[in-house]
Amino acid sequence: MTELKHYFAPTSLDQAVECLKDGDVTILAGGTDLTPQSQAGRLKIKQTLMNIRHIPQLSGITLEGKEIRIGALTTITEIMEHPLIRERLPVLVVACDHFASDQIRNAGTIGGNICNASPAGDMLIPLLVLDACVELASMPENKIYRHCMPLSTFFVGPGKTRKSLCELVTSVRIPLPAEGHVAHFYKHGTRPALDISTISIGVAGTFRDGTLSNVRVAFGAVAPTPVRASQTEQALEGQRLDEATIEKIAQIARDEVKPIDDVRATAWYRKEMIHNITKRILSHVAQA
Amino acid sequence: MNVAEKKARVIEPDTLIGKRIPKMDAPEKASGKTRYIHDINLSGQLHGKILRSDRIHALIKSIDTSAAKALPGVHAVITAADIPDQRPIGVAKDHFPLKVGRVRSERDEIAAVAAESEEIAEAALKLIKVEYEDLPVISNPEDAIKPDAILIHPEPHGADGSHEHLKQGMSIAHKGKPDNIAMRFDYVHGDVIQGEAESDVVIEDTFKLHYVTHCCMGVSGMIAEFDSSGNLLMYSNTQVPFLHKREFAEYLNMDPARIRIIQPPIGGGFGSKLDIYPFEVICLYLARAAKRPVKMLFTREEEFLASPTRQPVLLTLRSGCKKDGTLTFRQVHTLHDNGAYTSWGATTPFVMMQTFSSLYRVPHCDYHTAAVYTNNPYAGSFRGYGNLQATFAIEQHMDMLAEKIGMDPLEFRLKNAQDAGETTGQGMSFKSCGFKDCINTAAQRSDYARKVQENVANRNAAGNIKRGVGMASMLHVGGGAKIYPSDGCGTILKMDDFANITLITGASEIGQGSETVLSQLVCEELGLPISAVTVVNNDTAITPWDVGVHASRTTFIAGNSAIGAAKKAKAKILAVAATKYECAESDLDLRGGFVIKAANGEAVVELSKLLRNLHFQDKAELVMTTFYYEPPSVHQDKGFKGDVSAAYAWGTQVVEVEVDTDTGIVKMTKVTGAHDVGRVLNRLGIEGQIEGGVIMGQGYALTEDLMIENGVMKNPNFRDYKLVTAPEIPEMDISFIESMDGEGPQGAKGVGEAPSICIAAATANAIFNATGVRIYELPFTPERVYRALRGQTPKLYWKPWKAN
Ligand SMILES: Cc1cc2nc3c(=O)[nH]c(=O)nc-3n(C[C@H](O)[C@H](O)[C@H](O)COP(=O)(O)OP(=O)(O)OC[C@H]3O[C@@H](n4cnc5c(N)ncnc54)[C@H](O)[C@@H]3O)c2cc1C
Repeated sequence: MTELKHYFAPTSLDQAVECLKDGDVTILAGGTDLTPQSQAGRLKIKQTLMNIRHIPQLSGITLEGKEIRIGALTTITEIMEHPLIRERLPVLVVACDHFASDQIRNAGTIGGNICNASPAGDMLIPLLVLDACVELASMPENKIYRHCMPLSTFFVGPGKTRKSLCELVTSVRIPLPAEGHVAHFYKHGTRPALDISTISIGVAGTFRDGTLSNVRVAFGAVAPTPVRASQTEQALEGQRLDEATIEKIAQIARDEVKPIDDVRATAWYRKEMIHNITKRILSHVAQA
Repeated sequence: MNVAEKKARVIEPDTLIGKRIPKMDAPEKASGKTRYIHDINLSGQLHGKILRSDRIHALIKSIDTSAAKALPGVHAVITAADIPDQRPIGVAKDHFPLKVGRVRSERDEIAAVAAESEEIAEAALKLIKVEYEDLPVISNPEDAIKPDAILIHPEPHGADGSHEHLKQGMSIAHKGKPDNIAMRFDYVHGDVIQGEAESDVVIEDTFKLHYVTHCCMGVSGMIAEFDSSGNLLMYSNTQVPFLHKREFAEYLNMDPARIRIIQPPIGGGFGSKLDIYPFEVICLYLARAAKRPVKMLFTREEEFLASPTRQPVLLTLRSGCKKDGTLTFRQVHTLHDNGAYTSWGATTPFVMMQTFSSLYRVPHCDYHTAAVYTNNPYAGSFRGYGNLQATFAIEQHMDMLAEKIGMDPLEFRLKNAQDAGETTGQGMSFKSCGFKDCINTAAQRSDYARKVQENVANRNAAGNIKRGVGMASMLHVGGGAKIYPSDGCGTILKMDDFANITLITGASEIGQGSETVLSQLVCEELGLPISAVTVVNNDTAITPWDVGVHASRTTFIAGNSAIGAAKKAKAKILAVAATKYECAESDLDLRGGFVIKAANGEAVVELSKLLRNLHFQDKAELVMTTFYYEPPSVHQDKGFKGDVSAAYAWGTQVVEVEVDTDTGIVKMTKVTGAHDVGRVLNRLGIEGQIEGGVIMGQGYALTEDLMIENGVMKNPNFRDYKLVTAPEIPEMDISFIESMDGEGPQGAKGVGEAPSICIAAATANAIFNATGVRIYELPFTPERVYRALRGQTPKLYWKPWKAN
């Protein structure tokens, strides 16, 4: 059952953030999380359901200075097919390619994936290793207020973020990768399509002369939120990727994560996969 | 067209057999126009919903429905107390549709509501208050069989604690059971002790088979309506309309003659509609109570929770052979987790023992099953009917025995495979038998022998991807199965004045393509195109008797029945034509819509014209025939012996895999199948049947797993219950062995269940071939395989009870 009383489909950002002022609003983007969750009774639709799909400011992929901005409403399909993304952020394309199925990719948005804050959210891991920021908008007085928050501090628990009830996610901003930047994403599931990650791994950094620097490592589905792996990052920073180092780092990664048992896998298996796949990705980087 | 030309017209011989004929229902289904039960709405109809238990095993202390009854829009709220004449249902008559006093599993039905909308019915369910007193849960069959186990169906006691007086002939639902054993099966031929003494090699292993479920795309449903005279009309998804009609009559205490079942097209059966389930009877109770039509449809979650599963089995197999490769004996003990109630799953030993006794030449065989009650979901029939489980064990042992004696696994199989003319220890007599052809064809086309060697050699090579190839074969009934006193099917065939045919058959269409194949067989006899046929097969008030869709029987049994009716029609037509054209009947034949001269194909008269002549005369006659076909099979005797099927189907499948040793992910890359189908009737249809079956087998082997923990289903949804998706489907190479069965329609045998049977067994062998690790438990999920590869899987062993 729901308390739903009003349906609102704003056509501008102003209207949307204004509506959010009283906080008793459920935001609807693609609905691919919202619908199943509300039907299963895990999420209660509030008094007002606000469909944000008619707000032009929320869509589009653009190059803004040294940043790529992806509007919150951009669908997974749009990201996957966009030339700018394909050229400059190919790791996002890999994540899109392993995301759900065509039908879901056509409806599901990047803003929805971020706000749903699932520990297994597939876009979140590559975004984390790309140093992405979330742009939020609200209307504390009578004017739109915008600010950015690094994605690495955005998540607080399954389905929980630092975003306040009055805020709307308007875009995600990604710094343009520099020369020599490499980024990898691996999603481990039991099947190639329509699967929730058992674990996922993102690794990025600058690869020069056999060493990785400026390292970012993130893991999905091993903690209540997608996480950056600081110990693994530190261990990797500036290291030559020879076989022994790779094995050592894979072990650090395995020991760093604290996953749980659930219907998809046991904690033991998840740790093993973190080890094996980290190793696989690093060997791949080393060989390139 | 002038007369001279017409006379000269010659109709060339043609045949429909073996052609690729699109299914007659395909255009409607593909365009979304088919009206399933979900699309049917009767005026004045109410919506029924069931309140299920929120405990696994508990006494029901009280049920309060008053608030639900008071909700506007609610027309009926019923519990067991409202139906004093409830009769127990199911294969062992061990449960009531609405549970009385006690719940024994998660799906148990406590109350039901009929209301003006689904939403109101749902809201009403939430208003029903139930008080329970929890009982200990038994979720492991090994616990259930212990002597001190608490009982799932205890004998009721009187108020003073004494046993209630139990009348003879009362059902388990009334009188309970002194132990948790739902059914036992004990079969023997030869003497396994002697067999073991003659063996050079003996192995024993335990295998564990899991829960899976049918996952029909169309969820279960029913619409029931009583008319003003008290006649009952049901729209039902049953696979067994005639037998169920009788059963429903019994449950409602009414005359079966007043029940009519209409079967709308169904969105999948696969055996799941072979029993009557509580929801169906409850829907009837609601319609009776509300005096309005009631429609009941499952949600997807309910479909998982409350439809039957495949039978989970714990199985210990002991087998032996001589050094020369001759099989000596098989001894089998199985523990079947019956769940809380008994449906067809408990009877899968009928099929399993056939496989153990008769797949390959087995001189001595001993088979024992105990199906035990637990608080788990209950198992029903499912395509393959126990044969997937049996074959999983046997075919792994075939590889293991071959390895022990150092014999090539292919040679070992061929040495023990039967030929036509043999009769097995269980009395199955193989009139046609393409077993060795199946093995040889599948092996050659997949290059099995070379790959087996090569993969073994590459096991320790660098790289995380290991290739494997594995083989398994199967034996299944292919000419019906005489499990009821009759295994027959009736046909009524009617021709109109345009030479169109109405084929009225008892055989239900459940998506398997029976309409098309039956039309083909009839048209083949009468020389007409498929487009001339309208099939009527879904209304017990019209169609003749049949015992239902099961045991891969429809093409064989209903096919022979349809041919019988067509032959009678043909005889009548030729007799009329012979009189009219003053020649012998044997000089004439039917072809291309004409009566022709048999000798040269010259058209004599258009068939439609002849039929019109027959109709428009003062002594008008109609071409309308009936036929009933009963196969020449026999009932098993008390020791389960006998030739139960009129024909037996064989098949061999070779599965190729790539195992990722870093993750345990098994990718099925190719399936090469060879199936003895007697004869290919509709090539398109049979390919579809095989491909679908292979994928079902793949799901059983690799991904599908209904997880039950302490009686609770953990994954009643398609997110966590993983069906195979399109990108995972392997390449397939399918060959048909045409052994031309003497009894089969045009030589054909049944094949509906066959293609899913071998896949899991062959996959197990392929994983071993790739990695040298044998896994005894399904499914081969990444984690299970990975654990086994890392030596983290303790050897499974279930100690069977001592036989005899
Ligand atoms: C069959 C299926 C398969 C799936 N497979 C995957 C998969 O492989 N990988 C994966 O990561 N996910 C998967 N998902 C989950 C889902 O598709 C994604 O999380 C998707 O990105 C959600 O986007 P949406 O636009 O549909 O979000 P919605 O459902 O519309 O919204 C999700 C949540 O975010 C909030 N929200 C949405 N947009 C904003 C905004 N701009 N500002 C503030 N709050 C907002 C909503 O209020 C809601 O709480 C799957 C879902 C389904 C049904």
